[in-house]
Amino acid sequence: MAKTIENYFDQMRGTRVWRSVFRGGTGSSTLRRSLAIQQNVFLHLFSTKVRRRMLSFSATWYLGTLTLGTFLILVSTGIFLMLYYHPSVPQAYADTKDLQFVVSSGLFLRNLHRWSAHAMVFLVFAHMFKVFYRGAYRPPREFNWVIGVILLLITLLLSYTGYLLPWDQLAYWAITVGSNIAKAVPVLGNNVHFLMLGGNLVNANALLRFYVLHCMILPLTAIVFIAIHFWRIRKDGGLYSHQSEPKTLAAKAVPAPAGAVAKGAQ
Amino acid sequence: MQSSRNKLSALWQTLFGDPIRAFGVVSLLLLLSLAIAPAKNHFSEWRHYQNQYLTLIRGRGDAVTLRRHFQGGIQQIWLPEIGAVDRCTTCHVGLKEASLVDVSTQPFRRHPAIPHTAEQFGCVMCHRGQGAATTVEEAHSSTLAWEQPILPARYIESSCGQCHRAPLEGTPQLNSGRNLLAQSGCVHCHTIKLPDGSAMKGTDDPPSLLHIADKTTRDWIYAWLKDPQAYAVTAKMPNFKLRDADARDISAFLIANSSPLPGDASPVAAGQKAPDPTAGASLYGESFCASCHAVQNAAGNVVGGNLGPELTRIGTKVKPEWLQAWVRNPRAYDPPTEMPHYRFSDQQIAVLTGFLLNKTDADLLANVHLDPATPEQIAHGKTLVTEYGCASCHQIVGIKKPENFAPELTRIGSKPVTQLVFLPGMAHNLPDYIAAKIRQPRSFGSALKMPQYTFTTAQIDALATALLSLTDRTQNLPAALTVPSVPASDYQPAGKAGQLITDLACFSCHRINGRGGDMAPDLTWEGSSVQRQWLFEFLKNPNTLRPALIRRMPKFNLSDADINVFTDYIMTVYQTPAFDRDSMPSGGYPPAQVEQGKQLFYSKYACQSCHIVDTKMDKGYIGPTLTQVGSRLTAAWMYQWMKNPQALRPGTIEPNRNMSDDDARALTAYLASLKGSGKREAKQ
Repeated sequence: MAKTIENYFDQMRGTRVWRSVFRGGTGSSTLRRSLAIQQNVFLHLFSTKVRRRMLSFSATWYLGTLTLGTFLILVSTGIFLMLYYHPSVPQAYADTKDLQFVVSSGLFLRNLHRWSAHAMVFLVFAHMFKVFYRGAYRPPREFNWVIGVILLLITLLLSYTGYLLPWDQLAYWAITVGSNIAKAVPVLGNNVHFLMLGGNLVNANALLRFYVLHCMILPLTAIVFIAIHFWRIRKDGGLYSHQSEPKTLAAKAVPAPAGAVAKGAQ
Repeated sequence: MQSSRNKLSALWQTLFGDPIRAFGVVSLLLLLSLAIAPAKNHFSEWRHYQNQYLTLIRGRGDAVTLRRHFQGGIQQIWLPEIGAVDRCTTCHVGLKEASLVDVSTQPFRRHPAIPHTAEQFGCVMCHRGQGAATTVEEAHSSTLAWEQPILPARYIESSCGQCHRAPLEGTPQLNSGRNLLAQSGCVHCHTIKLPDGSAMKGTDDPPSLLHIADKTTRDWIYAWLKDPQAYAVTAKMPNFKLRDADARDISAFLIANSSPLPGDASPVAAGQKAPDPTAGASLYGESFCASCHAVQNAAGNVVGGNLGPELTRIGTKVKPEWLQAWVRNPRAYDPPTEMPHYRFSDQQIAVLTGFLLNKTDADLLANVHLDPATPEQIAHGKTLVTEYGCASCHQIVGIKKPENFAPELTRIGSKPVTQLVFLPGMAHNLPDYIAAKIRQPRSFGSALKMPQYTFTTAQIDALATALLSLTDRTQNLPAALTVPSVPASDYQPAGKAGQLITDLACFSCHRINGRGGDMAPDLTWEGSSVQRQWLFEFLKNPNTLRPALIRRMPKFNLSDADINVFTDYIMTVYQTPAFDRDSMPSGGYPPAQVEQGKQLFYSKYACQSCHIVDTKMDKGYIGPTLTQVGSRLTAAWMYQWMKNPQALRPGTIEPNRNMSDDDARALTAYLASLKGSGKREAKQ
């Protein structure tokens, strides 16, 4: 049975259509397997080889992957929400009410988007703490740390711009307070404030602006930076593992009292 | 302990023992949790109610019709013009089914008959609540995401008032609330802007205090300020709960601040005593003072009209020389007063004031002992008068009427609950807040200035209803939907007759061309209605037309010249354009027609059930007595009246009998023949 399925897949990989799409040929040699990764636009973002140790839960707590997961949930639910939502003053709140009351599973859709957003913010922070305390920001990964910080900011901005869209009292005043904070910036404050809201008060222009930022500009920027982030993981030598760092290796090479080194390495 | 741990670990092994199994289990869990959303959708409340409804109608005789009317799924009334998206009919499925008269369980009860259909205005416009919601809780209650709960049924008339500014027959509570708002002085302090841009005006007339020292004493002012209702139970002035010292200082200021009335202030009619102790009471009765003024009798009942102040303890209040001057000509002291200028003789004035000044109450001022006022007290009194906004109602020398003294109430019916400060234990909703605030304003804080009124529960409900009708919607309604009120008329007749009408304060009781009170008949078409000779006689010596009525026209002691001016004016100016007064003769009808009319009167139309023609036999006390109607009304008026009474006097209780022209003519002939008893003839 298993054999038949495997044969069937092999046969499929041999077809002209498959080869024209995936370029790589059949076979399970190491070369073929690494080509399958390298020649795929998505998979080539990942390292060709991963240490088995790094796949265990305790190594990363999967925080980066989970963040990506929430991001994907947010993109898909967000697209569905966009089908029901008009970024206009008279309709915005009524549309969120309609999602709650008349759209099939609309409340589930909205709640999934909302909770995933909260989870993403939490996970991004957790991811950064894990990276920080494990020391994974150190060279050669310092640039990727900076990309991470940018992604943190984008996540927070996505969260903030999305907050206005239900157009209820909570949203209105949160954005009023938030934009007034921006206004407190010396010299440029008033201009920043005006640019943010498209006016001096939170109103139709601000709603439209935040909608465009939330659904277009910020997600696209995030996708670009996520791609760079992943690509850099590969280029910087895969996931950080203390044991494989040059310093650790060097320290291991030096003969020393076994107990002390072992403890220091932990 | 150990065994349960073993069991748990065995379970863990079974579920998540190897990666493939764990993956399968987790996928299954995810699938199940994803299934919750469509399941919730399927088992929604509204589906439950619709199924209940279908069960309810299944066994009924009219099941087929009801089933055909029924539409499943979410229903909504969408009215973009007024912003209504009301999905109430999703659960309230039987609203329009007249045959569900026996069903009393909600949400299937049918809607009581109202002048509008649900498709016209939706549901929320009248009932409030959240129309878009499809669950009971969200639709009816106040939630974090929707403040406006369902309006309690006892305030439902307020919703009519959002569009209808004029009084409606079906909204007695709203009408009475609006009247109370205007009468009780609310609008003197609280601005209420109407959708047409004007502000609501008070219909009460708080007395001017410009010359208060001429009228009364400081002791009385003190007692009045402390408790107005102790002086007169019907007193309109609310109780400001003043401290003794504050009442002392305000009274000191008012007396010190009062300016003496210019002109001959004290033309005291000779201090003659009434020749007969009962003469005062009978003059009081003859002049129909009780039509406007009330007196509390020994049993504690207040008897009389409410247009003027209650006179139970008037002798304790006013100074004798002021009362004499007032009775002589009230317009000298207070030009816009509603009190008519009676032409009393000096003798009558002495009798009447003597009678009134005997109405005293020694207890009222028994405990008032005020030392002479000091300048500090007067200055402090002025501060208090300003602080309490006395000038909002009363004219006071040197103090301007404050603008926006109290919070504006133009949109009070839409005030968000989050902006209200409730008392502990109070239900958190707007109607209850408004009612509690009217019932006991100072319970919300002793520093508040709003005084204590003596409204009954029904009056408080009426006031709350009127206030709840002042919503955002009231202000923003598209012009096409508003039903404006008839604007208050400022009609003022010209010439000598006009002066007489003002002087006699006719508008206090009668309405002419849209201006005036409703105590007495509308006189707009009086000239078409009555015969000149009768009018002259009536003004000279009014007698009652309806036996059942208590209020009657006073005798003003007018001179013949004045009466002639007046009568000529009424006969010439107050005519209806609908018909000619002289189009029918006032007499000389053939006896056969008169006899036919009499037959119709007693048999076919049974007019004697309400009217009296033969004082010995007829028992009708509802309509006017007709014994001398032939010398009172014009024949043309009688004819037109019988054809269609409501056309001549909208709202009259005389029924429209749809008479044929012949019947109406015969009855007119009969009524025109009723020229009155010999007594009256002899008097002429």
